[in-house]
Amino acid sequence: MPDEIEEKVIATLASVKHIPKEKITLESSLADLGFDSLDTISMLFELESAFQISIPDDKARSIRYVHEIVAGIRTLIAEGSLPAAAAS
Amino acid sequence: MPHRRVVVTGLGVVCGLGTGAEAVWESLREGRSAIRPIESVDMSRIAFKNGAETQGFDPSAHFTPSQIDHYDRFAQFAVYAAREALRDSGIELTDALRERTGIVAGSSLGGQTTEDAGFLDVYNKGKNRVHPLTIPRTMANAGASQISMELGVTGPAFTLSTACSSSNHSLVQALGLLRAGTIDLAIAGGSEAPFSFGLLKAWEAMRVVAPDTCRPFCKDRRGMVLGEGGAMLVLEPLESAKARGAKIYAELAGGGMTSDAHHITQPSVSGPARAIRIALEDGGIAPDEIGYINAHGTATPGNDPAETRAIRAVFGDHADRIAVSSTKSMHGHALGGAGAIEAVATVLALKDGILPPTANFTEADPECDLDYVPNTAREQRVNAALSDSFAFGGLNAVVSFRAFRG
Repeated sequence: MPDEIEEKVIATLASVKHIPKEKITLESSLADLGFDSLDTISMLFELESAFQISIPDDKARSIRYVHEIVAGIRTLIAEGSLPAAAAS
Repeated sequence: MPHRRVVVTGLGVVCGLGTGAEAVWESLREGRSAIRPIESVDMSRIAFKNGAETQGFDPSAHFTPSQIDHYDRFAQFAVYAAREALRDSGIELTDALRERTGIVAGSSLGGQTTEDAGFLDVYNKGKNRVHPLTIPRTMANAGASQISMELGVTGPAFTLSTACSSSNHSLVQALGLLRAGTIDLAIAGGSEAPFSFGLLKAWEAMRVVAPDTCRPFCKDRRGMVLGEGGAMLVLEPLESAKARGAKIYAELAGGGMTSDAHHITQPSVSGPARAIRIALEDGGIAPDEIGYINAHGTATPGNDPAETRAIRAVFGDHADRIAVSSTKSMHGHALGGAGAIEAVATVLALKDGILPPTANFTEADPECDLDYVPNTAREQRVNAALSDSFAFGGLNAVVSFRAFRG
């Protein structure tokens, strides 16, 4: 059973890319899902809002797979990442 | 009938490297970077901290209080540069010549700083009014219009807005007007003033601005760094420049414009390569005559390898004999003003036989394998040079210059 973070990540990606949630798995790569650079920065923006976190550029640049996004968000939440100032 | 040859006879520039062509050229020759912590905006809520702000450009030293009320910062840069360029050219504007003079002033954003402040008032500060000069200060053609009013120039004047290619598109349009005989004198270039909080936040969201500095073509480059400023060039037909005994910096030989039809932010290789080829053909310049290219060289992950491949595609083996530098490493990326500042650098490189370096250079990206003139300017006479601009939106404009040996 997917947990709450996984569900929220997949819902966010689906919404940004306007694709059905069912098309997205943890093993999907952003490239396979058709994310280009602008889709990716839009996704990061929405994830920051959804999770009230701030995703640094350096971390964002290495992301390729959905499971890496989920893992990265878990880490940021665990580290108590402060939300971007205007994320609210 | 062969078209009229067009030469550069006046330069005006203000940017992080200084106020005036002399100061800017000295900094470029010395490889000094103007990139430092941004002071005009509260950066505490912005992920990057550095930019290339003009140092010591005091508007009150150049404009009356009433002019300052009317001119957004981007228009101040445009007017300052136009004045300097015209003074430098030594041209006396008569009423007849004023009617035959054109102004093409590029800008990506127009009076963004003014708009940001005005909208903050109504959106956030609970005020119910925006300052009545917001529209005249904000409109993208304010720079062109203020130049026209101040100099009494009454020929065609307009603004081109093609993001980071605005200045180069402006230079190519001015060249066309001069060649066609529509005008006999042009003031062309561009300016930008991108340091306002809202706009910096928007750049932050793009995730393309480096947290440290601008290292074009380097393995450890982390993105672009914004700069402010602008430049204007006085352009006129060769015969009229000769007739009045003008100092001639270089010939504006040609221009090449293409669009990628590809992606709103990701560059292509073929679009820029075609623009370079057209700029060479239009200027009657053989590829092996080019000795220097002032690169677009933004230091973003996407641009630098694509630009390198475009140069290789056009020049083949000769690419190894071309010095390619990105002066954005020093004056930052002044968006719609960038091409004009870089045109000034290119023209002075041709005239003085000194090629400005790519500053902040560490180690080349393996995908970037040209001669980038790392860190130190090079004394080298070249016969012809290019200046590249490749904009977001896939709009490319390249200008070609030929050294003038009178």
